[in-house]
Amino acid sequence: MPLELYFFQPLGTNSGRVFLALLEKGVEFNERELNGREFEHLQPQYLAINPRGQVPALVHDGRALAEGAAICEYIDEAFEGPPLRPADLRERWSMRRWCRYIENDVGRALMMIHWNRIVPGFVGARTPEEFERLVARVPDADRRRAWRRAYLQQTPPEELEESRGRLREASQRIETALSGAPWMAGTSYSLADIDLLSFFAFVSRWSPEIVNKTATPRTMAWIERMEERPAVRALRARTRMPQLPPATSG
Amino acid sequence: MLDLFHWEPHGACARVMICLEEKGLQYSSRYVDVLAFEQYRPEFLQLNDAGQVPVLVQDGLAYVEASATCEYLEEAFAARPLMPRQPAGRWRVRVWQKYVDDGFAASVTDLAWQAHGARGLQARALEPAALHSAIDRIPVAPRRAAWQAAVAGLDAERLARARQRIAASVEHIEAQLAGSPWLAGPEYSLADIAVFSYFKYLPALFPTVLNGDAAPRSLDWMRRVEARPAVRAALARGRRGDPFTISAPGPEYVRWG
Repeated sequence: MPLELYFFQPLGTNSGRVFLALLEKGVEFNERELNGREFEHLQPQYLAINPRGQVPALVHDGRALAEGAAICEYIDEAFEGPPLRPADLRERWSMRRWCRYIENDVGRALMMIHWNRIVPGFVGARTPEEFERLVARVPDADRRRAWRRAYLQQTPPEELEESRGRLREASQRIETALSGAPWMAGTSYSLADIDLLSFFAFVSRWSPEIVNKTATPRTMAWIERMEERPAVRALRARTRMPQLPPATSG
Repeated sequence: MLDLFHWEPHGACARVMICLEEKGLQYSSRYVDVLAFEQYRPEFLQLNDAGQVPVLVQDGLAYVEASATCEYLEEAFAARPLMPRQPAGRWRVRVWQKYVDDGFAASVTDLAWQAHGARGLQARALEPAALHSAIDRIPVAPRRAAWQAAVAGLDAERLARARQRIAASVEHIEAQLAGSPWLAGPEYSLADIAVFSYFKYLPALFPTVLNGDAAPRSLDWMRRVEARPAVRAALARGRRGDPFTISAPGPEYVRWG
């Protein structure tokens, strides 16, 4: 049975990490792109695959797998190919700790900062009533709340500032980690690097005041090394960036 | 040689303590009195700058974060496996661990703080002014902010969200247990340990949702976990009170581990 990956464009964050893990592993798969702007992830066809309506989902042997971090470890365990987790158990612990930190601390801070820019593009020309009908279909109450706040541009400024502070702290932690070792988990390239690329690398473009050659030179050098990897080039070749409205303050 | 810096067998501490017992591993217990804020002392912060228990130390290296620490123990000590062999089963264990880390632990901790938090702090016999000044001196900013918010009182909206999430979690757990005896499938695993370590307070904290009529399979599952010798041994290491009714030491709601 063929392997299928359901994902969003542009290929970043959770969709990007799983897509890149498959490319690094050299596994063939069928691409099933969902159109987020049309809320295809909340259509009955997709909810039959993942009832929580979250993307990505990997379908293997008729089983649908959700949750980016767990899917990535599954890919490394279920398929032949170059290992994506260190053989050394200390480094493996370090990899898992970074993966969680990148997804939770870094990922959530970034969402807080950039969600206000992204959501209006998703919503497009819909009326408030149409928007509310769509959001009502989001299964998770916290996600519904986040959508509404971003749509109404009601995210409190102090929460945005707190997120920027966390992002600055994270960028220093990451810089320190990359000062002592070539890869996030240590001597081996791993899922922690895949996650950092997927959740964080674009910060050098979106928040250049935080990630740049002066403040975080080793992180910038790591990004350059990552971008040269054949799998990352293949990922970039398949990525379509949307036109975003210009950044507002900060 | 394993050292475990831990508090009572609650939450993340319970997860690692149960895991160690299940694997039959000897360890030196290093008790950290969370109510005396020992987790914010400089010598502890050197082990974990997040100021959170538990911390496992092996060969001079510190392991933090309960999910990652349990998986480390599973990989480093292969006997008495706590994860299935097949990738799909392992994926299920990891999804449950994340489920606990992402919201279930925080929701249970919020309710526990509301129910028992003040009592735990009274045990410290501090005047409110002394307590506030001790909190203001917590050197880890996110933890300081969490304690300040908690002693000010969790707002009704947050508590309502916690109850809503727990009710949804119990439905989710009931549905899973309709198809398999344990959360990740036919075998007991780290998934059961992770959920149980927070779930065990719910019959007392939230009886309208956790009772024999509304959640029969969950309660049966909880009793089966609780009856395991390793789980009993881990819970018996508690020093204060009943491990099923006294819970959160404070608003360490994101994670203690």
